[in-house]
Amino acid sequence: MTTLTRRSLLRSSLALTAVGAIARPYVANAAATTATVWWVQGFAQEEDVAFKKIVADYEKASGNTIDYSIAPYAPMRQKIVSAVTGGVVPDMFQNTPAEIIALYAWDDKLVDVSDVVETQREEFTETALLTVRCYNNVEKKRSFYGVPYTVGASMNHIWRPLVEKAGYQMSDIPKTWDPYYDFFKDVQKKLRAQGMRNVYGLGFQMNTAGNDSNARANDFLIAYGGEDIVTKDGKLHLDDPKVRKAAIEMLTYPTTAYKEGFVPPGAINWNDADDNNAFHAKQIVMDIERSLSTEVAIIKNEQDYNDIVTMGLPLSNDGKPVPVEQGSLCGLIPKGAKNVAVAKDFLRYLIQPQILNELLKTGLGRNLPAMPAIVKNDPWWLDPKDPHRVTYVRQGLFGPTVPTFWTSNPAYAQVQNEHVWQTAWAEIMKDGAAPQVAAEKAFKRVEEIFAKYPIAQG
Amino acid sequence: MHGSDFAWSVAFAVPYAAVFCAFVVYPIAYALWIAARPSLYADLIADRLYLPTVVNTLVFVGLGVNVKMFLALLLSGFFMRRRWWIKALLGIYILPWVLAAVQTCISFHWMLIGEQGLVDGLLAALFGIDGPIWFNNRWLGLGSNIVAYVWKWMPFWTVIFLAARMTIPRDIYEAAEIDGATGPRSFVHVTFPMLANLYLICILVSTLWTLGEFTTVYLVSGGGPAGSTEVLATLGFRYAFDANRPELGIAAVMSALPVLIPIVIVLMRRAQASEVQL
Amino acid sequence: MNLGLTLLQPQAARRYRLRRVLTEAGSVMLGVVLAGWSLLPVYNMLLIALDPEEGEIEFAGNLWTPEPSLDGFIETVMQEARYLEDFWSQFENSVYIGLLTMVLTVLIGSLASFAVSRMRLGKGSLLTNAALLTYAIPASFLIVPYYSIMHSYGLSNSLWAVIAAQVTFASPFAILIMQLYARLIPGELDDAARIDGASAVQLYLRIYLPLMTPALAVVAIYALLLAWNDYLYPAVLLSPRNATVSVVQGQLFYDNDAPWNAMMAAAIIYVLPPLAVLFALRRYVAASLTMVGPRV
Repeated sequence: MTTLTRRSLLRSSLALTAVGAIARPYVANAAATTATVWWVQGFAQEEDVAFKKIVADYEKASGNTIDYSIAPYAPMRQKIVSAVTGGVVPDMFQNTPAEIIALYAWDDKLVDVSDVVETQREEFTETALLTVRCYNNVEKKRSFYGVPYTVGASMNHIWRPLVEKAGYQMSDIPKTWDPYYDFFKDVQKKLRAQGMRNVYGLGFQMNTAGNDSNARANDFLIAYGGEDIVTKDGKLHLDDPKVRKAAIEMLTYPTTAYKEGFVPPGAINWNDADDNNAFHAKQIVMDIERSLSTEVAIIKNEQDYNDIVTMGLPLSNDGKPVPVEQGSLCGLIPKGAKNVAVAKDFLRYLIQPQILNELLKTGLGRNLPAMPAIVKNDPWWLDPKDPHRVTYVRQGLFGPTVPTFWTSNPAYAQVQNEHVWQTAWAEIMKDGAAPQVAAEKAFKRVEEIFAKYPIAQG
Repeated sequence: MHGSDFAWSVAFAVPYAAVFCAFVVYPIAYALWIAARPSLYADLIADRLYLPTVVNTLVFVGLGVNVKMFLALLLSGFFMRRRWWIKALLGIYILPWVLAAVQTCISFHWMLIGEQGLVDGLLAALFGIDGPIWFNNRWLGLGSNIVAYVWKWMPFWTVIFLAARMTIPRDIYEAAEIDGATGPRSFVHVTFPMLANLYLICILVSTLWTLGEFTTVYLVSGGGPAGSTEVLATLGFRYAFDANRPELGIAAVMSALPVLIPIVIVLMRRAQASEVQL
Repeated sequence: MNLGLTLLQPQAARRYRLRRVLTEAGSVMLGVVLAGWSLLPVYNMLLIALDPEEGEIEFAGNLWTPEPSLDGFIETVMQEARYLEDFWSQFENSVYIGLLTMVLTVLIGSLASFAVSRMRLGKGSLLTNAALLTYAIPASFLIVPYYSIMHSYGLSNSLWAVIAAQVTFASPFAILIMQLYARLIPGELDDAARIDGASAVQLYLRIYLPLMTPALAVVAIYALLLAWNDYLYPAVLLSPRNATVSVVQGQLFYDNDAPWNAMMAAAIIYVLPPLAVLFALRRYVAASLTMVGPRV
């Protein structure tokens, strides 16, 4: 173990200090072989270009071939399900959607990649490491089943012109949670008074399908103090009064805002694209998203791009920084892969800081590296010329973070897929149920789901 | 049958038989095998969405199929009329069928998204009324799904009936005309009896297909609000591809077996029914 | 008009003419309703396609595009839009798969249904019954086993995997339709031909196929559209390099921020080939001005 650590330390520092550092693959035998890699198509064309270049560099350096397929997100999901269920798997794919790392690890369908992660262990943030440390229910152990390389974070996206039209400045926005969002209710009132009929202050995603609403529920839960709902050991802590209180507050605040008319009434049934569309059409003053896609989608319209302000999450109601729930995009190697050695080698190559930096920078910095050192050593990331990225980096890499709940226990992935919290929201908003009552129902369902995923301790 | 005739007919049947053996036997057997675990059905029932979904499926399939087929039969008569503009209209009428389902369903979704959508916009502009938010109500959402579905597939079945009418030899119509059957009577005494079996079979096949139709509901109402307009096909699709549990997805659709099997049996019998006597 | 009219009383003649006018007017009104019904969602698609950039139309409550622009179309055609960078090669794949599916389905389906219904192949009903079993489980849920068997047959990432799958799903319906239509035609025709010494192949080519042209046209268009617009099978069975346009359109199932204007423009461009095929086959599925059938 010690030799590996020293060797990796040496290589990392070499990589960071030298420009155009020697990036050498680690394959012991020089037998050149081919690995099949499935890669998700990026949001911008540049991301694909970056990936292809990395692959070409790797092939030249190692002599191995990477047979890659770049597919868009939707077909990739169905391909992965078909492949893993049918047993005809590639050598490496990414976690599309994110929870599959926890679900497949549970079923012992992934190859343990601890040896790959170890090569850059000091570089990763603790949260990034936790996001790939999943529980294998067949071998009854927790280990690293993915190699993380990018992370994200929830950000508030706000139309500055609308705030100013209401007579406020961006600096007027309060710093703590509830007052922060209450501010937008005021903005709505002022804008309506000026005759803008169709504008709403808050763009909360409150639907029971898709991913955005799950992210929102988790954000609010953590903000109100419920980040211990699932701890690192995979145990559910709904009996903790702090968590219960946070959950009830999470069920109350957004639904009250909806019932008071500050959230568009259609939000209860938006799909993941509709809130972005509503934001672009300036129907909502603010929107919360876990990426910069809201801005990037309209990057061609410079005026609009600059008019959107990206802000991190506000402080909690007690004035403390709110940890961001963070998942990572990682590389997974399925069991049954034909060429595990080359797949691992490619991943080792990819997560070398200077390579990862190159990959993400060429991809226009849409995704954050899972390594703070990259950002600290390359001034490009914090260049104030692009305030969106600076905020994103600050929130995602320098602020407090917690790993996504489902990495500790895949039961939470089922909670999200069933949209338990969002169903409770719907009961409160549509059926007029009291938050307490809806909460009890939701708690019961969450406990039922967790009972199906017992994790042995020790 | 003569020996060589028999040989020929076997030869003609071989291509399809080969396709069947190579591509149907294993997948169907695999799906049945995967769905045969009772624990899956326990999981299904435990899902709060399952029973409302079954109800939705019955409504969606029942109304969708029958309204569509009946209107298709009637409209096939309309399109038999010999006018140049009716011919041109046929081209427009089949556009829903020819366009890709994903885009048309998304178009429906945005048409009905509320005040920002085209439908409510038109209602406001033409009649000055504030249209509802279509997807915030279970029944309006279900209705929207059915309308979108009928919109897309009615042209297809219309063409099926139209081509069937065109296959009926002219002599039969002429013979009936001599007997005094024209216009509506021609329909009742000549066309309908000949098409009755076809109509029934189309209903059965369409029911099987509609049970598996997820694009419409997934994209138009999204299954909302709060999952109240889901049908078995979308529920199954979500289990299979969104929650990564394909066994549960297949089980969701297989739970319709008590309805599927009788339909398949009746279908097989009707497909063999003998020629119609007029 | 006809002889009968001149034999009627004047009031009856007037009533008859009035009825004809009303029927015509009713027809026209129905035609207008049908046109509006069919075109409204298509109009919405066009609105979105004419958007200069995404986000202005879908949520803004506009009844027409405030600043129409052909950017969506241009980007698609020039392959500059996100996800549509390989539009034309994907288009080519769509054409290849679509045409082959169409031809194979018509061929295999007509041969099988001819064997079973016309030649009265003894155990033929077994074949057609088995065919109907294909529909017992919805196609979308069979994708997992299809992925495995295509790999076993060595057809991974091959266009033929998709063609095979589409033909498998289209053929049972093709056989069914052709059997049913064939029953609308009296069977004495080919018995007569057989007495004259026609062989099975001649019967098939000279009697059966010509009589069944409406059925063949319908089956052809059905098979083409099934393959042309299908998302799931090409998405999973093909690699991105030889995908079809419909795969890209399926991306809209999950995407937050697709370039909607280009996507809708692509859909509009994509519909043109099948429409062209339909136009070519219109003789067989639309009532021509000199057609056979009842006078209405």
